[in-house]
Amino acid sequence: MKKFIALILCLTVVFAFTACGGSGGGESSDGPFVATACIASEPETLDPGLISSVDGSTYVNHMFENLMKYVPTDEKADESGNVMMTKVDLGQAESYEVSDDGLVYTFKIRSDAKWSDGEPVKAQDWVYSWQRLVNPETASDYGYFLDGIVVNAAEIQAGEKDPSELGIKAVDDSTLEITLCQDTPYFTEMCAFASLMPLRQDVVDGNDDWATPDKMVCNGPYKLSEWTHDSVIKMVPNDQYYDAANLGPAEIDWYLSADETAILSAYQSGEWAFVESFPTDMITSLQDSGDCFIDPYVGTYFLYLNCDQIKDWRVRAAMVLSVDRDNIVDNVAQGGQTPATGFVASGILDSTGADFAFGSSDLGAMYAWLATAYPDADLETYEGRCDLAKQLYQEAVDAGAWDTNTTVVYNFNTDDTHKAIAEACGQDWSNVLGLKITLANQEWNTYTNGLGEHKFGVARLGWIADYNDPITYLELMVTGNSYNYGLFSNPAFDEAIKTAKATAAGPDRDKALYTAEETLFGEGGFPVCPIYYYTNMYCNKTIKNIGYTSMGYYFFQYAQPVE
Amino acid sequence: MLIYILKRLAAAVATLLLIMTITFFLMNTIPGSPFLTEKSTPQQIELANQKYGLDKPLIVQLKNYLVNYMKGDLGVSLKMQEGTPVKDILFKQGKFGLSMRLGLLAVLVAVVLGIPLGCIAAYKRGTWIDGLLRVLTTVGVAIPTFVLAATLLIYLGVKAQLLPVLSGSLTNWKAYIMPVISLSFYDVCYIAKLTRTSMLDAINQDYIRTARAKGVKNKWIVLKHALRNSLIPVVTFLGPLIAFIITGSFVVETTFSIPGLGKYFVESVINRDYTVIMATTFVVSILVIVMNLVVDIVYKVIDPRITLSSSDE
Repeated sequence: MKKFIALILCLTVVFAFTACGGSGGGESSDGPFVATACIASEPETLDPGLISSVDGSTYVNHMFENLMKYVPTDEKADESGNVMMTKVDLGQAESYEVSDDGLVYTFKIRSDAKWSDGEPVKAQDWVYSWQRLVNPETASDYGYFLDGIVVNAAEIQAGEKDPSELGIKAVDDSTLEITLCQDTPYFTEMCAFASLMPLRQDVVDGNDDWATPDKMVCNGPYKLSEWTHDSVIKMVPNDQYYDAANLGPAEIDWYLSADETAILSAYQSGEWAFVESFPTDMITSLQDSGDCFIDPYVGTYFLYLNCDQIKDWRVRAAMVLSVDRDNIVDNVAQGGQTPATGFVASGILDSTGADFAFGSSDLGAMYAWLATAYPDADLETYEGRCDLAKQLYQEAVDAGAWDTNTTVVYNFNTDDTHKAIAEACGQDWSNVLGLKITLANQEWNTYTNGLGEHKFGVARLGWIADYNDPITYLELMVTGNSYNYGLFSNPAFDEAIKTAKATAAGPDRDKALYTAEETLFGEGGFPVCPIYYYTNMYCNKTIKNIGYTSMGYYFFQYAQPVE
Repeated sequence: MLIYILKRLAAAVATLLLIMTITFFLMNTIPGSPFLTEKSTPQQIELANQKYGLDKPLIVQLKNYLVNYMKGDLGVSLKMQEGTPVKDILFKQGKFGLSMRLGLLAVLVAVVLGIPLGCIAAYKRGTWIDGLLRVLTTVGVAIPTFVLAATLLIYLGVKAQLLPVLSGSLTNWKAYIMPVISLSFYDVCYIAKLTRTSMLDAINQDYIRTARAKGVKNKWIVLKHALRNSLIPVVTFLGPLIAFIITGSFVVETTFSIPGLGKYFVESVINRDYTVIMATTFVVSILVIVMNLVVDIVYKVIDPRITLSSSDE
């Protein structure tokens, strides 16, 4: 037995010694520059026509290039100086012309635009890709993206017309003509969008697994070299790309993980250089250590207030007014977010280039109508807003429109931050109005299913803009829209949106859009309770020249190591 | 023995059918859809349901599943790797292989350390060694795996930088260390406790007293006579343990970024990836059934007095 004990001790010592060997396994600083990043877990696909997530679009943006593309500017996205804002510029198109009525766009494709297998990029590749996207059989999440923008897109999505009738045609191999339903000021920006990337019909058709390393043919700066599912996506420069000589990293490794502790550990050990997700309670210390930075992000965190359950607008308005957004931003979310003052996210611009969120009123769209209807109310301070909230709530109760014994169910999908925000809102409503709230968390799929069935009193959602136009938010609240989970319906609002969609960019369209948002927060309205405007946080100290757009996409193609 | 095994295999087929049927209906009871996203419309969900035959009556869907399984077709992923054959995801992409390698190593560590530690504690009953091992194993079974895994990751990986934080596809031996410790720690402690208890029970039996009276040395009594009989509860524990541990652990695989089957199984339920849920349940069920059969046979090998069926009596 003594020998046996000795053997166990030896094994323990050997085990301890083996555990003490080796290094962290980070990238060598001597070799070619490999950019390592983790922005999300495994994407469902890398097929541009089927992606729907920001991370999926980021990968696609590195492997494909659209008619337009995002190019870095001199504007710094944050104080790190390593991330630069981008602007939309010519990509695979060398030029474009717009007809006088703004309805026909004619793009000329670059003569040196090539696919990664050396084949020339042709105008037909966009025709195929766009027709595939809107084809209902593709069942793309972004199949609706061209509805009301490109001729016949909505009809094709509805199954009323054939995809070949989409308003896009190849005049010749290098000339692409697109016909729009109406003048669309943000159309060139849409032409940089990931879902609208060109695709080769001979590569995609009939090949369900075409978006894999051995089979993918792409036209962007990088190409897919490896995809170890649930682990890493690796990309190497595409030598057929017209600007291949100026690309930065010799390889981009996108690590795939959703575990915040694991992600932060990998960052702190130096194995990953750029990460976008980490525990909320670490944000302050990461900022203090100069690791964590905050970039603008065009998105709104908001709550649906179910108009079918909370029928009186005054109760809904009281709920909107009595939420202490500063407290939520400073003490709960802690990510440098901006307290919301409207539904349309800050960063969305009107035709004059002004921030739409503050275009109608300095107070923001959420309070614009109230400021007129209740001129004595102090809407600039939280205390003043609470006073008005109490007044409106009491009016509804006195009018018999609200039973104070009613309990409102607040649904949220399982997540620590959502839970903390729900608790903060519930506490505010309880303290200020005496409202009874029950919090109910559900896992994501059950939660979204409940949204569609309108089974909630209050429910959360975040909406990230697809393109820079207020319509991307406002049309969600149109009667019958599939995202109008709170069942809001107001003919004046619907009419304002209809007018905006039929009007060319300019003061008249801006006016219609501002009117729409004021109606949303006017008498009979308040179907949503905006909480804050999103920001994007990341940790990085070792990579510079990263491009960024406030739609949430980072670009590493011209990145360099920090000396 | 052969007739017994054949009978068990026949029962296994029936068990599998039952498990698959129950899983199928449970899976369809929970709300949601694999095609539900923040931006999907009801029309898109309907089209996707048509594409994958999810618009058909449940009984027809179940029949299709079972018929396809008999042909060896596990279907394609509906969500997580849409369109990719599930068989490829589990086996070609190496998810099952990764989890199995890690799991088998953890079982090996659990057995190699757990049984001897239990023997030592029993052999040294009442001494400080026994006391120390009892405290350590009690603490060991009380520490949750996620706490241990995160602690190892932070102290050995991040702070001391002794081991790689990312185990990934387990391409080098260092990548195994922290996941294997995390995965096996509870089992080492539990097996040690189990062995000690059953060993003490065996030591008090008459045949041990007889052996002592015959002058057999104490260590031989423990190793040759008591150990063999005290292994029955350990083997009972090991059967299902092996089946579950080699099909992966969500906590360990997530913490150490290992693209294994355990993580995928849990995520398939969250994502309502019906075909993946059915396939992973199928694989786990087969393993549990096989391991239970193996355990029964090992009982007979360890203790010939045990009868496997009425025909053995």
